[in-house]
Amino acid sequence: MTNYLSYGLGAIGSICIHGLVLSVLLIPGNGDTQAIVIQPQYINSKLVELAPKKKVVVPKRTKEDTAEKKRERQRRLDASKAKAKAKTNADALKKKKADLDRKERERLALEQDKLERERLEELQRQELAAEFAQTLAEEQSLISAQEDEVAANSYRQLISQRLSENWSRPPSARRGMETLIRLQLVPTGRVVGVTILTSSGDSAFDRSVEQAAFKAAPFVELQQMAPSLFEKKFRQVDVSFSPLDLRL
Amino acid sequence: MNEENLSILSLIVNASLPVQAVMGILFIASVMSWIMIVQRGIFLSQAQNNFKDFEDTFWSGVDLAQYYQELTQKAKDIGISDGIENVFRAGFREFNRLSHSDKADPDAVMEGTDRAMRVALSREDEKLGVNLPFLANVASVSPYIGLLGTVWGIMDTVRGLGMMQQATLAAVAPGISEALIPTAMGLFAAIPAVIAYNRYAAKVEGINTSYETFSDEFSSILHRQVYSK
Repeated sequence: MTNYLSYGLGAIGSICIHGLVLSVLLIPGNGDTQAIVIQPQYINSKLVELAPKKKVVVPKRTKEDTAEKKRERQRRLDASKAKAKAKTNADALKKKKADLDRKERERLALEQDKLERERLEELQRQELAAEFAQTLAEEQSLISAQEDEVAANSYRQLISQRLSENWSRPPSARRGMETLIRLQLVPTGRVVGVTILTSSGDSAFDRSVEQAAFKAAPFVELQQMAPSLFEKKFRQVDVSFSPLDLRL
Repeated sequence: MNEENLSILSLIVNASLPVQAVMGILFIASVMSWIMIVQRGIFLSQAQNNFKDFEDTFWSGVDLAQYYQELTQKAKDIGISDGIENVFRAGFREFNRLSHSDKADPDAVMEGTDRAMRVALSREDEKLGVNLPFLANVASVSPYIGLLGTVWGIMDTVRGLGMMQQATLAAVAPGISEALIPTAMGLFAAIPAVIAYNRYAAKVEGINTSYETFSDEFSSILHRQVYSK
């Protein structure tokens, strides 16, 4: 009884150990390789959107306010006119007094309105300043975080440029073909291996891509790179070649 | 195809048939040997614990006849009994039978008891040593099997190299990398097996010695009883 149990335990333990080892060995590590896309050279234009201009809402609002006020006044005037028409001239004195009163009130209202507008404008300014400070801080953190990425990108650019310079497409190249290769680099900049990850299906095209990689070979500029960055991003570099400019 | 994780799998898949066969054998050997390692580990530590418990009870001054009954009952209930209990029961049973017969010659009684215990001892020894030869086999043979696979793989690679126009490193590297995998697997199978075999062999030796010591002690107790009549 216990014998069978211990054999079962042994089998489970054995399978666990082997499964672990196999999974460690065989599951492909996600190497931090970012594919570089090689296309025949042309300049990419890109619409750069600056920070959107803040629309100043306050003046508009105050204008609206005054329009409202005007309308209001008109309405009130109309009403009072109607009233005046309805009433006799005997009320003229009274009306004059009322008019005076109203004018005084309007003046006060206008003054208040002006004050309010000023306050709003002040608030707006503060808000803008705060926003500006925040964007600045964000920018700063982004810069420090992306410094590596920027450096890596510049090297990628370099590699891609050199590869595209050295790439001579075969006549059989067609639009829509794509070959993804993986370059194995060493810190001196030499290419020690080229693996075709995704073939285009055309062997001549694939060969031309491989030749381009070897022709462009010593990327001596990589020697200046920080070793950690190289290990992280440039031990293996994936490059995709595709002739997007062809019309065929 | 350099030493990259993904390509280990592809190397194994693309390997030639003999190399693949070797790798399969080694993998199975490794799995089996780990089964044995775990199973033996459990069994031997159980045997050690049982022996300790048994000795504690035995020397605690329990009535031997009663203890014998108990153990026999337990063995009947469970269906199997292992270890030192079997030695004790075999000796005690034989002793009782012989000493209750009419013409009980003390020498004959002792001789019979000792023989019975010796038989039980060698049975237990066998039980302890089960599967250890397999571990020893895996430990000693699997590196050779791995080497065979490697040699075969390199042979293939070099032969292929002869057919090529230019001998580049890139042309041989994948083949050699593929050929080296069987050696790695052989070592992977052998190392745990060697360690386990040495360890378990020493353990079995120790347990056997303590069984023998116990049987001698027990025999001397019976001896005293026989001659004090």
